[in-house]
Amino acid sequence: MSALLAVLWKDLAIEWRSRDRFAAMLVFSLLVVLVLYFAAPPSLDASRNAHVPGLLWVAYVFAGVLGMNRAFAAELENDALSALALAPADRGFLFLGKAAASFLVLAAVQALGAVFFALAFSLELWPVAPQLALVAGLGGLGIACAGTLLAAISVRTRYREVMLPLLLLPLLVPVLLGAVRATTQLLATGSLPWPPLQLLIVADAVYAIVAFLCFEYVLDE
Amino acid sequence: MSGAVVRAAGLSKRFGPLAALQPLDLTLAPGETLALLGPNGAGKTTLLRLLAGLARPSAGALAIGAEGASGPARRGAVGLVAHATFLYAQLTARENLVLTAKLYGVAQPAARAAALIAAHELTPVAERAVGELSRGWAQRVSIARALVHEPRLLLLDEPFSGLDPGAAERLAERLAAQRGGERAAVLVTHELARAVQLATRALVLVRGRARELAAAALASPAALEAAYRDAVAALEAAR
Repeated sequence: MSALLAVLWKDLAIEWRSRDRFAAMLVFSLLVVLVLYFAAPPSLDASRNAHVPGLLWVAYVFAGVLGMNRAFAAELENDALSALALAPADRGFLFLGKAAASFLVLAAVQALGAVFFALAFSLELWPVAPQLALVAGLGGLGIACAGTLLAAISVRTRYREVMLPLLLLPLLVPVLLGAVRATTQLLATGSLPWPPLQLLIVADAVYAIVAFLCFEYVLDE
Repeated sequence: MSGAVVRAAGLSKRFGPLAALQPLDLTLAPGETLALLGPNGAGKTTLLRLLAGLARPSAGALAIGAEGASGPARRGAVGLVAHATFLYAQLTARENLVLTAKLYGVAQPAARAAALIAAHELTPVAERAVGELSRGWAQRVSIARALVHEPRLLLLDEPFSGLDPGAAERLAERLAAQRGGERAAVLVTHELARAVQLATRALVLVRGRARELAAAALASPAALEAAYRDAVAALEAAR
């Protein structure tokens, strides 16, 4: 447990001092909002805005992939990843620490991304903010868990910048399905449907358990 | 050997068709320091990575620390100083040491970091980010990092590189003082005088083949140089 907290503190301290991952993710999600705004401008007809929750999650997922690509950048410098691999701590807890840090950074980007979206697409998000935060949190958890595992796998490969999205995006389909359906119904009716939340919870649990168990081997040569 | 820190039997490593390390038998007892000598590309770093647990052997058996220790217990028995410093550039020297102490489950991490900072004379740079430090200072922090958990096996890959003469001498004195204790060490170096100063045994590696030198070779730098040349020639001829 202390290894989890140590890695979490370390990742957040490095992020706070450099802010390179957060800044890159935030600017990227802002640019995605701008591109989507011009590609699929908001309509006065509310029924034609049904695609907007999907667009919101496109921004979240791509920002998440970008962030995951940077999640192990500090570990590569001075080969700190080897030091992490040498530590006698249970590697599952090292995974949880790194995933928790990525989740928190992504959550901050999601919150600001939602504000960008609300402004660009004239959405009334404030009345449903707690429920939207729950959906975003569950979706972000899935992205952080699967992303941390796959980033650890791809970080030592030659084409890691390409490898991670190729591995991660197909794996995030259940998260996207659940998150987009939940967000769509939330914005349409003001209430959260249970089936998409179930899908998100199950996907998160599967990713977290598999990654926790596999991390012992992922950090090996 | 009972109580040995390192027990390797038939240890080898291949990278595809390349034999980076030919089958090697090696036992290291507490208090011993093995100098690992050889030209570039001889397999010294490969052997060090195998001993550290950063690489898996292609064949053979390797035990580190207590009998039957594996996984976290085995990793906890090793301290490694490598070419890379293993430090986070954005964290201060003290924060790096505290972080390492926490990851290794050391009781009172802050106190342990403070003790290492004092012992390794790191006070002037303790609160500075490692990314701002010179290579020499970073190397000294890296050495303190490797000792944070009092490892039974200390692996040193050219630890004197980047150190000024004074710091190198102080490090050599610290390492020499540990001889005869519970810790064993493996020292990779091209400086034969350092090997004579610190090692109790010497192993020469050439293209993955190993030959241990007689104890008399460590009597003086000249004796070691002569024995080293003979061993390299013999290992080259045996290819």
